[in-house]
Amino acid sequence: MAPARREIVVRGTPVHLLEDGAGTPVLFLHGAGGAGRWLPFQERLAKDFAVSVPSHPGHGGSPAAEWIEHISDLAFHYLDLLDERRLPPVHLIGASFGGWIAAELATMACHRLRSLTLIDPVGIKVDGWIYPFLFAMDIPEVVATVFHDPMAALALAPPDQSVETLALQYRQGAALARVAWNPYLYNPLLRRRLARIGTRTLLCWGAHDRLAPLDPCGRAWAGAIPGARLHVFGGSGHVPHLEEPEAVARVVAEFCRAAEAAG
Amino acid sequence: MKFYYFHLMPYVMDHDEPSSWVTLPNRLYDPAQGRVLYNQYLDQLEYAEQLGWDGLCVNEHHQNCYGTMPSPNVMAAMLVRRTSRARIAILGNGLPLRENPLRIAEEIAMLDVASGGRVISGFVRGISAEYFSTGVNPTHSRDRFYEAADLILRAWTQPGPFAFDGRFYRYHFVNPWPRPLQQPHPPVWCPSQGSSETVEWAARRRFPYLMVFTPIRRIAQIYGEYREACRRYGYTASRYQLTVNVPIVVAPSDAQAEAIARKHVMWVFNTGLRMHPPFWRPPGYMTEASLRRILQSPPPLPSELTFEQADREGYIVYGSPATVRDKLRVFADELQAGIVCSGMNGGSHEATLEMMQLFAEAVMPHFREDAAVDETAGIGRPAPSLSQ
Repeated sequence: MAPARREIVVRGTPVHLLEDGAGTPVLFLHGAGGAGRWLPFQERLAKDFAVSVPSHPGHGGSPAAEWIEHISDLAFHYLDLLDERRLPPVHLIGASFGGWIAAELATMACHRLRSLTLIDPVGIKVDGWIYPFLFAMDIPEVVATVFHDPMAALALAPPDQSVETLALQYRQGAALARVAWNPYLYNPLLRRRLARIGTRTLLCWGAHDRLAPLDPCGRAWAGAIPGARLHVFGGSGHVPHLEEPEAVARVVAEFCRAAEAAG
Repeated sequence: MKFYYFHLMPYVMDHDEPSSWVTLPNRLYDPAQGRVLYNQYLDQLEYAEQLGWDGLCVNEHHQNCYGTMPSPNVMAAMLVRRTSRARIAILGNGLPLRENPLRIAEEIAMLDVASGGRVISGFVRGISAEYFSTGVNPTHSRDRFYEAADLILRAWTQPGPFAFDGRFYRYHFVNPWPRPLQQPHPPVWCPSQGSSETVEWAARRRFPYLMVFTPIRRIAQIYGEYREACRRYGYTASRYQLTVNVPIVVAPSDAQAEAIARKHVMWVFNTGLRMHPPFWRPPGYMTEASLRRILQSPPPLPSELTFEQADREGYIVYGSPATVRDKLRVFADELQAGIVCSGMNGGSHEATLEMMQLFAEAVMPHFREDAAVDETAGIGRPAPSLSQ
């Protein structure tokens, strides 16, 4: 079933979102290149929850927002969105770049969350690791870095090579670079702040992630967020929700239900 | 017509690496060879003054074999003390690439004072690849450029000390010593690749516009836009606001010139500008409007440019003295460009010196109807009404 497409305005910033399902609200924050996609992972979650998938400003159908200069601006943007929609505490899920935004948000206002799920997040400086510089890679190199199974990348393949499509990709790259070019893919202040997260947290990690490898990145996150549970997906690279959608959705749904049961 | 000798100071070499920029391993640079090259190149620039060139140009590029002048001001400083008449044009300093652009105001003022007011100060953003080699965020490029230019112009003209509180650059005390000798400040030129935003910015301030390595049809189009913008700002562009930068090869015969152009000029495009594709297009470096304009009629990658295409579309000027005169006549008469900026490469230092001499004796004198004109008088400084 196709999700509903909505255009809303959050404190003056237009946002395009996809929504489906009923139940406790789930807010899913996509990674770079994942805007506007409703894939088997979201579909599976929408069977149990009211899933909302906004496109970040400058990504997918959401226009670029000049005021966004820092990753914390995006976190505040999503706090504004929770206010705007008057949502009760949500299950917040973020993948990769979206996981970074979700983690920033959780350090600010974890009382707005029922639970936090981070799928191969970036966003912290990890000793001994420098994230491979995707901006300097051509498409085959990016695919080889992000995906364990290159075929899974087809789900994110652009529909064509039209001027519109290329302009959208450029706009998305620029929106990402505005907040992530340097320092690249991390906020130097975030790691220490992760200790503030009091929400139940699940870390999903692809065993073959080459962008933010389980060791040392996943281990660093698991050590930095109090009580976080780390679940490793053996058949995945950086994007397990695309590479093993059924398995990841099952683990995440169980985790969210358990969080609700525990109050 | 005025002639400026433009040097890239390339480290000419053949290699099989995918990119001549950013990632070309620097073990391929031999400092002993570099020493020879730097000194030959400086000799060529000094010789250009002796032969009658009006200006000598240096420029900034990083981490590549195409042009080995990461600091153009260092090269300009060497020229200041070894020349006495020619203008020294720094085309230019990459303003957004600096964390402290006040340093540019200081260095240009030093050069201007020491040279007796011979400096022309180019303001550039730095090419796409330089955002990979400096770490500067390409999405800030344009705003940093505008802000740094504003800072530098104010540092040169506004009595110090004063405070500057920008988005990227902040100072409690702007008060550079020395101040520039030329008043209100050294001429500012804008070398660019033709984005409409830069055309507007330069035209509004009466800053000369310079296009580098661009086919002639595109130069004509952009110059039209620049002249039109000048009219909108209430004045007619001087021909000395329009400079053509084109590689020139002159030889006793057309056939000899063509052979040199095929080998040595095409190296600049095919090898010097060979770039790993992502380095051409860092995110946010261009406006989306500029991107769409490029996507609608994509120019060939320099590494794929053939000699025939370069010849046909006017990327290069080559031939016997008579042929070169005819081709330059087009710049003078049809484009109404007042300045030709070009470097030469004969294949060896000696051959280059010979080519320069041939050009100075057999081409240059035919374009000297404006010999008595000072091409920098009143050029490259904003009209008084616009100054701050």
